[in-house]
Amino acid sequence: MIKKGYHYIKRISILLFLLTTGMNLLGQQKTGTLQIRFMHTAGNQPLVLRDSTYINPFGESYVVSKLKYYIGEISVDNRKLVADSNDYYLVNAANEENSIDLKIQNGTYNTLEFLLGVDSTHNCSGAQTGALDPMNDMFWTWNSGYIFFKMEGSSDSSHADLQRIEYHIGGYKGSNNAARKIKLTMPKEENFRIKENTVTTIVIETNLDHFWKGKNDIKISEMAAWMSPGGFSLKVADNFQGLFSVKEISKQP
Amino acid sequence: MKNSISITVICLVSLLIILSSAMREDGYGPYQPDPIRMEVPKGWPKPSVNIFAKNKLTEQGFQLGKKLFYDGRLSKDGEVSCASCHQHFAAFANYDHDLSHGVNNAFSKRNTPALMNLAWMKEMHWDGAINHIEVQPLAPLTNPSEMGETLDSVLYKLKQDTAYKRMFKAAFGDATINSQRMLKALAQFTGSLVSANSKYDRVQRGEASFYDYELRGYNLFKQHCASCHAEPLFTDNSYRNNGLKLNRFNDIGRQTITNLSSDSLKFKVPSLRNVQVSFPYMHDGRIYSLYQVIDHYRTGIDTTQSTLDPLLKNRIPLSKAQKNEIVYFLYTLTDSSFIKNPRYAPDTKIVVKNPHH
Repeated sequence: MIKKGYHYIKRISILLFLLTTGMNLLGQQKTGTLQIRFMHTAGNQPLVLRDSTYINPFGESYVVSKLKYYIGEISVDNRKLVADSNDYYLVNAANEENSIDLKIQNGTYNTLEFLLGVDSTHNCSGAQTGALDPMNDMFWTWNSGYIFFKMEGSSDSSHADLQRIEYHIGGYKGSNNAARKIKLTMPKEENFRIKENTVTTIVIETNLDHFWKGKNDIKISEMAAWMSPGGFSLKVADNFQGLFSVKEISKQP
Repeated sequence: MKNSISITVICLVSLLIILSSAMREDGYGPYQPDPIRMEVPKGWPKPSVNIFAKNKLTEQGFQLGKKLFYDGRLSKDGEVSCASCHQHFAAFANYDHDLSHGVNNAFSKRNTPALMNLAWMKEMHWDGAINHIEVQPLAPLTNPSEMGETLDSVLYKLKQDTAYKRMFKAAFGDATINSQRMLKALAQFTGSLVSANSKYDRVQRGEASFYDYELRGYNLFKQHCASCHAEPLFTDNSYRNNGLKLNRFNDIGRQTITNLSSDSLKFKVPSLRNVQVSFPYMHDGRIYSLYQVIDHYRTGIDTTQSTLDPLLKNRIPLSKAQKNEIVYFLYTLTDSSFIKNPRYAPDTKIVVKNPHH
């Protein structure tokens, strides 16, 4: 009787095992890795924090000491990613490398989209951790909400105290929303392919020349420091799309 | 038989794996949190947002939050705790202080608000700057004229203390100390501060009755004050300009947050619960007594301001006798079971090191 019972349990467990693995295999799509890598430039040179002086398109010289921004809601050709696309990443020019690895379904893709900023839900859901931890110094404690883009430094053209430049750009409420969806279309004949066991890297150039001159003109002599939602934050936000371009697509087996 | 042995072995091995992972010793004992259910007082609306939906309220979380609330190490000089300005006996307002004091003998620019019934509050601060109870502590913690600290430094200090490691484990399952857990624990304490047992509440529940002069005051209150100080929370959580003159800090209130000139000089309507013990009054503590507050509404309102609340454009006509009756009614909002509740008091006696605070 006992022996019969064991046999019964054994059969059921084998059946369950086969069922679950079978379902897993059916549900699983083949995926590869997309790596997004950010590199920062100004005036056709790599950005070096603190040490180098750059000239903006209006002839104003400046030094950058800090450059950080949030990236989230990454998608390719409007397709959801296999990895949680609600995650946020803090790109920091002070990091040796800024790369994001994502699992993506196999296929050939032409566009890459992401949010520059943080969506409104994550702005008002209380204490967050990871990239959105307020320890990262990207949260306005006096007016709840994330700073989406932060650039600090100095400039001879600045009328602010100690000739500093300080742009803290953010705001998530209604018409003050400074988060911008960035859409990057791959150059002609350069659609990227995702295959399993392969890492496809897209290098995105973040060119500060376009921070100053894009949809709007940002002149240091006119505004050297801004640290709140609305107003000037929106003016800068409208230049966000132009900041980014695809520099290179490469594949590693 | 062979099969039955192998199955027995598999069962035993998996049981061992489960047991060993559960018993992995970190020196702080097992994780056995005691959940707390927050009750909505009889006759009150349900909070529009459940602040504990993603922050499970437990006795261990509450106790950790309380310890943090009373801990001066959250400030730069080690002496200014949350409780320095939010005093229990003053319904967690700052007794007899127009402006709160911070590190380095600094003054802030606003009056410390009372802390109670925060679970029903959508936004914090006089100007509604703070959008969630969990991120509220970041403001005083980092403000140079309040606690003047950085998050890095606070967490560093907490991590040196094994008592905190034990309490973070008890509240959250492991001894990791991070900003999110610290803020969630503080929210468990402050969000649990419910004041709903004043004489007014007992009258509403049929357990007590007003004296005649209190009842006359209550009727006057409902007629003249309750459209903003709405029952049962005694605030409608709106922002309004009540006709105070611009102060020396040029504090324009809500406009700072919305950038809208139509919000100039608007401030949050404060709850009047425990108002007797939370003096002085107004966003900058400029008025010291309740009689003077009512005098402001009777005769003091600056009716020339463009954003003045329409309900106040004719001021509030009240006789001196009526003024007294309203004050008598306001005294019935004092909840001594709240301001003397040992559950909200620190576990160890507070030693006042700096009498100036």
